[in-house]
Amino acid sequence: MTFRDLVAVSLGNLMRMKLRTFLTVSGVLIAIAAFVSMLSFGAGNQAYISKQFDELGLFNTMQVYPKAKNDSVAADGKALDNSAIERLSRLPGVNLAYPYDAFSVSAQMGDSTISAKAQALPTGAIKTKLFSQLQSGTPFSGDSTRQAMLTESFLKKIGVTDSDSIIGKTIIISMKISTIDSGFGYVLKGLREQGADLIEKIEFDSLLHANYRNRLIRSEANSVAKQFMNGFLNARETISDTLKVCGILQQKRMGRIKIESIIVPAKTALRFSTTGISGDPTQLFEAMNSGTLFAEPGDTDGRNFPEVTLDLDPRVPYKQIKDSVEAFGFKAFSFAEQFDEIRKMFIYFDMALAMIGLIALTTASLGIVNTMVMSILERKREIGVLKSLGADDNDIRFLFLVESGVIGSIGAVAGIFLGWLISRAASGVAQYYMTRQGLPTAELFALPPWLILIALAIGIVVSVLAGLYPATRAAHVDPVEALRGE
Amino acid sequence: MADDFWMKTNNLRRYYRRGQYEVKALDGVNLELRRGDFLGIVGASGSGKSTLLNLMAGLDTPTSGTVELEGRQLSTMSRQELARYRGHKVGIIFQSFNLISHYSALQNVETALYFNDTSRRERKEMALMVLEKLGLADRMTHRPADLSGGEQQRVAIARAIVKNPEILFADEPTGNLDNENTLQITKLLAELNQGGLTIVMVTHNLEMAREYAHSVVRMHYGRVVEGGERG
Ligand SMILES: Nc1ncnc2c1ncn2[C@@H]1O[C@H](COP(=O)(O)OP(=O)(O)OP(=O)(O)O)[C@@H](O)[C@H]1O
Ligand SMILES: [Mg+2]
Repeated sequence: MTFRDLVAVSLGNLMRMKLRTFLTVSGVLIAIAAFVSMLSFGAGNQAYISKQFDELGLFNTMQVYPKAKNDSVAADGKALDNSAIERLSRLPGVNLAYPYDAFSVSAQMGDSTISAKAQALPTGAIKTKLFSQLQSGTPFSGDSTRQAMLTESFLKKIGVTDSDSIIGKTIIISMKISTIDSGFGYVLKGLREQGADLIEKIEFDSLLHANYRNRLIRSEANSVAKQFMNGFLNARETISDTLKVCGILQQKRMGRIKIESIIVPAKTALRFSTTGISGDPTQLFEAMNSGTLFAEPGDTDGRNFPEVTLDLDPRVPYKQIKDSVEAFGFKAFSFAEQFDEIRKMFIYFDMALAMIGLIALTTASLGIVNTMVMSILERKREIGVLKSLGADDNDIRFLFLVESGVIGSIGAVAGIFLGWLISRAASGVAQYYMTRQGLPTAELFALPPWLILIALAIGIVVSVLAGLYPATRAAHVDPVEALRGE
Repeated sequence: MADDFWMKTNNLRRYYRRGQYEVKALDGVNLELRRGDFLGIVGASGSGKSTLLNLMAGLDTPTSGTVELEGRQLSTMSRQELARYRGHKVGIIFQSFNLISHYSALQNVETALYFNDTSRRERKEMALMVLEKLGLADRMTHRPADLSGGEQQRVAIARAIVKNPEILFADEPTGNLDNENTLQITKLLAELNQGGLTIVMVTHNLEMAREYAHSVVRMHYGRVVEGGERG
């Protein structure tokens, strides 16, 4: 008997027992559909995350932080300053290293003025995937052009919906800064006014007494410091810049990467980031800490940054780069590594989902066993006839294995289709809720070729295994007994 | 001398044990067949005729004794070899037809050609030809249940001879046929026998057996009690 004959005979038998075949196939179908739709959810999520990572170039992005948490100066003294950035950018496999350099400004566009955060970026960084997802417009053309890029969230804040209409408009960003000069200015002014009184007040003889001297100096130092702070915080100078909006960045979920609402070319931003400290007291302390309080305008050498972003060459393994960064005394965070972790997690997730499908499949396979055993009892005489005509044990065994295999194949193919339908429906519902919640829609289901192949293979293998016992029983039917007339 | 015979049974026994009773369905049968022989077997119901055919066709295994085919004992053959023997050399007409009930007449006949390496196309041609020869040209698509007893019997005969076997075991092949059909079938068998087919036929019709068979044996309680005479 050729394989083709076997299949033809099996199909004939299955067609004859339509209801029974339908019911048995349904068992397999439902199990495979469950298996497929659940794994499709796992695969879809994984694909979604992978796509997000890929779109943002996160596989080639590494974040570098100083070692001690929440502190720009590492415990062992390694700070993320310009020389550190310089060294990082020279590491093999690092295309670009740029700091997270943000400052608070008030931004004025047309009639609306809002306070926002701005970020300075070199043009090299603008070219990385992270910053090249533009909603409209173009990236700025140089490090010192008077251009700015805005994010969608900024547009939302000022109530603009059409991002194209913003391109070419001017934005004025300004910052009230306190300089060391204004602080000292007050001190000097105060000293001039109080100087005469003070001289009169001082009992010069008593200066010989240490106690008195100490008390006097203490009180004077306090009042000087008070005046310095007063000047520092109140007598602020406003610096501002008029920039042209050149591009609007798409809003993406970036995870731990911070993108501020206004992005300014690095050199253009120098004035803002170094000439002084804004009214934000935390910045004052940060500046004191990082040693930039007394920095010259435009001088960034002394500055420390809270984080530095590396753009990597995908051909160099991230582990190697991470090791080098850590050898410098910094902390490194690799998105590629995070993705590997996520993928590991997904393996367990998928296995859990697959288990549910497999349990259903076990039940379905019992259905197959039952159907096949019934079929053998009914077709005992037929088996006897086939044997008398020359069928050997293997022919009979194959005949029944093919039959259960066909049940499995039909069930698997239909199950994959049903699983796909279910995942489409579930995806539709998910999309609907995402839009209603105002979330960006995401495709959370996927049916990759490997899933189709695995489902098909599992369906067929399980049903053939289920057919093994009945088929062996059929092969051992005694023809004489089967053929004896009733 | 013994090697002249194509098929031989030596002291063939087939006992059935049912509880404390032992049925000696065959109790020492010695038969010899040459290629091209036409052997008739007569005997009372229960005398072991069908049992003998099953053993010679390699469907059943003897309790003791042997069936020899071209000098080789069937009992030394593997199950697969026995299947090949049945598939290629043996045609069997069962007493109770044993047609596959959900197959058409044509499919029933074709099934006999699944196991002797006949190509798909040839299968259909050969089956059609035999059915036509047996006067069933307009019954091809009928299921056994839609055929008369005689028609079913002729389908069973067609199935047994379609593969041009070397030996035909016929268990009352004319039992359900009227006189005219009986004559026709018997003539057909005689014709096939003339063409070289070895036939072992069980029948109740002693006259007819005498007329067409080369030899006739009578069985009684599992033994050959009379015959071997050549006609
Ligand atoms: N499987 C079996 N179990 C027990 N006894 C059996 C079995 N098969 C046959 N027999 C017995 O063996 C004897 C011979 O049976 P067999 O079928 O060979 O007779 P037969 O000569 O063909 O009869 P008939 O002319 O009625 O067909 C009978 O007595 C029968 O009851
Ligand atoms: Mg009988």
